[in-house]
Amino acid sequence: MAKVFNLFRGQRARLEHDLERELRYHVDRRVDDMMKDGLSEAEARKQASIEFGGVAQVQEEVRDTWTWAWLDALVADVRYAARGLAKSWGVSSGIIAVLALGIGATVAIFSVVNTVLLQPLAYPDADRIISIETVSTNTARISPDVSGPDFLDWQTQNNVFEQMAVSYGGNDFATMVGDRAVFANARYISADFFAVFGQGVAAGRLLTAQDVPIADAEPTVAIAAYSWAVAQFGSAAGAIGKTITVGSPMQIVGVAERGFRYPGAADLWAPWRTASGGTNRSLQNYQAVGKLEAGVSLARAQVHMRAIGDNLARQYPENRFKSVALTPLHERLTGNVQMMLWVLMGAVFVVLLIACANISNLLLARAAVRTREIALRAALGAGRRRLVRQLLTESGVLGVFAGAVGVLLAFVLVRALVALSPADLPRLDEVHIDTTALLFALGLSLFSTMLFGLVPAIHASRLDLSHLLKQGGSKGVTSGGGPRPRATLVIAEVALSVILLAAAGLLIRSFQELQHVPLGFTTNRVLVAYTEYAVNDEADMRKRSAYYADVLNRLRVVPGVTAAAGVSYLPMGRELRTGRDYFIEGRPEGQPGERPQAELHAITPAYFNTLEIPLRVGRDFAESDTWERPKVAIINETLARTAFPETSPLGRRIRTNTTSPWMEVVGVVADTRWQDPRQPAPAVIFVSSLQGWGKSLSILARTSVDETSLVTTLRSLLNDANPAVPVRFETMDELFAEAVAHPRFRTQLIAAFAAVAALLAAVGIFSVLAYLVGLRTREIAVRRAVGADTRDVVRLIVGQGMRLVGIGLAVGLAGALVVARLLQGLLYAISPWDVWPYLGALTVIGAAAGLATVIPAIRAAAIPAGVALQQE
Amino acid sequence: MLILRILSLEPAHGYAIARRLQQISRDTLHVNQGSLYPALHRLEQKGWLESEWRPSDTGREAKCYALTLAGHAQLEVEKSDWDRLTATVRLVFSEGT
Repeated sequence: MAKVFNLFRGQRARLEHDLERELRYHVDRRVDDMMKDGLSEAEARKQASIEFGGVAQVQEEVRDTWTWAWLDALVADVRYAARGLAKSWGVSSGIIAVLALGIGATVAIFSVVNTVLLQPLAYPDADRIISIETVSTNTARISPDVSGPDFLDWQTQNNVFEQMAVSYGGNDFATMVGDRAVFANARYISADFFAVFGQGVAAGRLLTAQDVPIADAEPTVAIAAYSWAVAQFGSAAGAIGKTITVGSPMQIVGVAERGFRYPGAADLWAPWRTASGGTNRSLQNYQAVGKLEAGVSLARAQVHMRAIGDNLARQYPENRFKSVALTPLHERLTGNVQMMLWVLMGAVFVVLLIACANISNLLLARAAVRTREIALRAALGAGRRRLVRQLLTESGVLGVFAGAVGVLLAFVLVRALVALSPADLPRLDEVHIDTTALLFALGLSLFSTMLFGLVPAIHASRLDLSHLLKQGGSKGVTSGGGPRPRATLVIAEVALSVILLAAAGLLIRSFQELQHVPLGFTTNRVLVAYTEYAVNDEADMRKRSAYYADVLNRLRVVPGVTAAAGVSYLPMGRELRTGRDYFIEGRPEGQPGERPQAELHAITPAYFNTLEIPLRVGRDFAESDTWERPKVAIINETLARTAFPETSPLGRRIRTNTTSPWMEVVGVVADTRWQDPRQPAPAVIFVSSLQGWGKSLSILARTSVDETSLVTTLRSLLNDANPAVPVRFETMDELFAEAVAHPRFRTQLIAAFAAVAALLAAVGIFSVLAYLVGLRTREIAVRRAVGADTRDVVRLIVGQGMRLVGIGLAVGLAGALVVARLLQGLLYAISPWDVWPYLGALTVIGAAAGLATVIPAIRAAAIPAGVALQQE
Repeated sequence: MLILRILSLEPAHGYAIARRLQQISRDTLHVNQGSLYPALHRLEQKGWLESEWRPSDTGREAKCYALTLAGHAQLEVEKSDWDRLTATVRLVFSEGT
């Protein structure tokens, strides 16, 4: 470093020395010459140095030329640009504001896209982590759920995975920490689970194969998530050795590294009970992951695993229609939001384009005002490239400024976005503005600078010098080609806004449909208390039934509560439900894998009443349908239609297991869309929790008052009944809102983008027409002078504007139809060719554009015949 | 442009250029002789001139400037630009009256 500096200094010293010699030579020669003319040496020296001017000053000037010429020019340009922009700070700050908003929004959305889709998962060798899944060979449908025995076979037979692991569970389990009852999201995992993700521990140790309980024994150890350990025990180290109770007592032997909570938001990991996976190959409730051996390609692994799966299909009848499929874990986690995020990215980018078009317009207008300045610079010898560079520098200063403001804005917007996002958006907690996003912002600034700066710069530099000088600065004549780039910009703005607005319209229509889907039950005024009652044996289960019966009876007499019931699976809840095979008395059992399936829901009496689900025939469960009484069931209409198409189902008997007792169908209820409002109702069998079915219940209370006002009452009621049962409250409306969170999120964002786009486009049209009216002032005055009335003038201006708008609308409509096809996957219940969004977009933009033409037209109409001519 | 023109005839050192400038402009251009040097260095930076120390007619070493190839090209460009401008101005004046 010092060497380089010295080298530089040495060169500098030589330059200085040379310069001094050169200047001394000049003065000496001059003195010699003057002495030849007869002057004394002293006199000549004095004369010569006067002629020469200050030596030091000259030296200084020469030194200036030594700095790199281009850097010099750049600094000068930037300084000049900044001065120019500061002079018209109103326009400049307007431009910066619009552009900063565009860049800020784009960077914010990009940060989400970047974190969620582009960045690898935050695990070592994340690209080798694969989700190992089941594919139905008859429907080609891939499901991430696998069966336990299948997993064990895959694990022993494959040679492409370094490690493989399986996990299941993931409900919020009632967990006793000391004498407190809390929820913990517990997962059961196989021994290599942490190894697959390359995770260590923050304290304690990892699970080993010895921790996996033998046969049906309960697990005795667990690993806690860092955040959960800190929340419950104060620190990671403090959690080690503590005993908690999740069903059975477990000792915490390790705390995972900070931030690791896979899958989902796990709080605890306990070793799996291999025996509970049993031999049932049809029960697919595990998720398998694996880490590929280094150097093994996904395609090779896929072929290899498929062969193993196909082999198992030949070996076991339950496997006849399934095999193995591999999906990179990143894709499995983000696949369902990929489309949505890219659409948002596209939309915000269109807004940025429109903003650039607007700014381009403003700069064109300003360039027109500056025509004389530019002409002067050209006359003084500035080359065309130099002029373009100067103007682009100005744009660049604007762009960089706006980029900086935009990045600041993006920090705020990202937080807002995260707050607005659906809570289950994968990797949401990781979203932040990183170096990639900052580089993207810089690139975006430069890109938009080019976009909005190049047209005005080239346009300005194309000025014809002689033409301008002749014109003498008159504003009466349009300079050659002036309106054309502006017209193109207006058309582009209109077209882009139409596309965005039509897309927004489609999504809004689809979202409206979704909001008004008849769910089959009412969601308002229903309070939900999610509880977890831990049981170990049948005695506990009886106590649990009694507990819920007691709580519900006390709840039903609380003032404001009109109905109350319990359900083991929440409608709109987050738990995944899988269908199970059912059998009807007197009909053949069928082959495994080909049997019809239905969901099984355990409920208490009055459930249908509480959610206002109509009973079609038969009766509801009664308090008298207890453990000891004959088992009964209620089915929904879909199941009644498919299983008993000709006859009445009442009195028929049904079961979901070939060994359990038959249940008599006592009622049929209307269909409901439980899980996802977009999916048609599945076949459902309801069973009574009073007869021992199901797990812990969620308690539903329909109220005649605001449901949230009853939270305190209900909480103390439940706590009094049993303090070991943890409770969490929600409303059914909230659950529904969550179920449609994704469509709402994208609809809101795109609608906002479209509104901004429409506004920008209207402003753009307005400014261009106002400018064109300014240019045509004299022409209009002449027209008035020769007898044109107000109507003619207005028609002239509006006609000019609407012609541009018309072309824009046509181009936009064509674009919108193309974009609509891309959106198809995000639409529910409406066709991408639904006519209303397009009509709506055309009307809104047309009206906005119309309005934007009216004001300049009125202004033009107000031009009296004389004034314009006097201006000259 | 004038400097380029003078050097296009033959390489010269600073003092000689100053004298030539005064001669051809018949003393109408009264520039500070010192301001010639920043101009020379600027042109050299742009690559239009090159320089070397060479014994002058008096025998003392002087820094001699010569036009580079790029300098010759630049002179052509400036000449044509100048011609265009003067033609334009002439046109304006003749039309203007």
